[in-house]
Amino acid sequence: MGTTFKIILLFSTMFLISCEGLFDYSPYQIDFEGENKGVNATNLDRLLKANQSDTITIAFTGDTHNYFDELGYFVDKVNTFPNIDFVIHVGDFADFGLPKQYLWGNGYLLNLEVPYLVLIGNHDLVGNGLEAYKEMFGDFDFSFVYQDIKFVFLNTNSLEFAYNGNVPNLDWLSQQLFPSDDFSKAVVVFHMPPGIGFDPELELGFYQTLSAHNNVIMAVHGHQHHHEVYYPTADSIPFVNVYGVEHRMMTIVKIYQDKIYVENEAF
Amino acid sequence: MWKMRHFSHWFLLLCILIFINNTQAQSRVGRYDWLLPDYVKLQYAGGIGFLSAGVGYTFVHQRIDATFFYGYVPNGIAIDDLSSLSLQFTAKLIRIRLSENYQLLPLNFGWFIHHTFGSDYWIKLPSHYPPEYYWWSPGRNAGIFIGGELKTKWLARKTPASGIAIYARIGTRGLYLASKVGNSSIPITDIIELGFGIALYR
Repeated sequence: MGTTFKIILLFSTMFLISCEGLFDYSPYQIDFEGENKGVNATNLDRLLKANQSDTITIAFTGDTHNYFDELGYFVDKVNTFPNIDFVIHVGDFADFGLPKQYLWGNGYLLNLEVPYLVLIGNHDLVGNGLEAYKEMFGDFDFSFVYQDIKFVFLNTNSLEFAYNGNVPNLDWLSQQLFPSDDFSKAVVVFHMPPGIGFDPELELGFYQTLSAHNNVIMAVHGHQHHHEVYYPTADSIPFVNVYGVEHRMMTIVKIYQDKIYVENEAF
Repeated sequence: MWKMRHFSHWFLLLCILIFINNTQAQSRVGRYDWLLPDYVKLQYAGGIGFLSAGVGYTFVHQRIDATFFYGYVPNGIAIDDLSSLSLQFTAKLIRIRLSENYQLLPLNFGWFIHHTFGSDYWIKLPSHYPPEYYWWSPGRNAGIFIGGELKTKWLARKTPASGIAIYARIGTRGLYLASKVGNSSIPITDIIELGFGIALYR
């Protein structure tokens, strides 16, 4: 028994050492570290320290779902463009809301040479995705001013919060868009446009809040996977619907003298 | 969540009681002995807990196992602690007698269903969603594994247990497979759930 015991012990030890990292405790285990924590804050810091010019160029993607390879192709292509200021992912980053999918998605975006920001989508909230998003990216609603333009990121995934009346948070949006000295125009980015999943009670208020101060030059969203520029409000705020990554098309928006120019690039 | 955790602790206590009862039962034959589990297990990892305690039965001349596991992931290892129950079926296809005291079961196939406790991990789509809004259930995932086991007669002479076994298993679950399909850039090792454990047989 002694010898057998030693052999078993030896093999078990070798097995354990060689397989570290394969041991999985739960699909819902969140243990993000280093570059997988506070990602939006880190990138904002990078963005606001970067050299600024008179034109803002943003590459948009979104709705990764299970198209992780395609997200990698997107990153490769963006890295070939010289003038992108930053990248925005408009949500549905983790198809099943799994911490592992968060790690995969960020693994690709970490290869971007420019800063990137990730918005919360409805799929990202399934299971304990809410905690995973907070841990990896931070707040759902956040804003910053870049070259006189205020970028407002808004959680519009009302259905994930059972239409509780607080998502989207219109009071917060209204405060963000209230004119102030530090910005002239605003861009509002959200995952889910009005429709199924967006609180119908808040739809009218949402449009009214966007139009209140005549300072929103563009609303950008994902969720529908196809691209179009449309004008749902009477005062003609352009809504830019961003391609889902599976189309291997990205939407690039240039902002120059408070005007927007929308282009699409294949990757 | 608190209630669920409470339930889980009772379940763990039950496992222990069954085992104690089990070992005492050797000396007498009772009319409910057939209810006693055939083994208890303690498993590390394998996707169903940091540590999981299991009880189970064997069928068809010890070729099929059915095991219930209670698994726990403490906070510190994850940002929130996680409790779960899983039901696992294992088919043991090959049995090699190494010696009087050792048996090797090198090819065990398994299927499991894993239920994580907590309101975030629903099984039935909550009523505020339109029908079929999401096709999967975060609270209940199924998976498969293959594994091997070394059965020994250690402890058999000194205790009422008939033997002790060590086993290892390598598996994955449906949600991971669905993520991997079409994505060659995701390493296969990322969807693997490896685990090992010990089993004490009645």
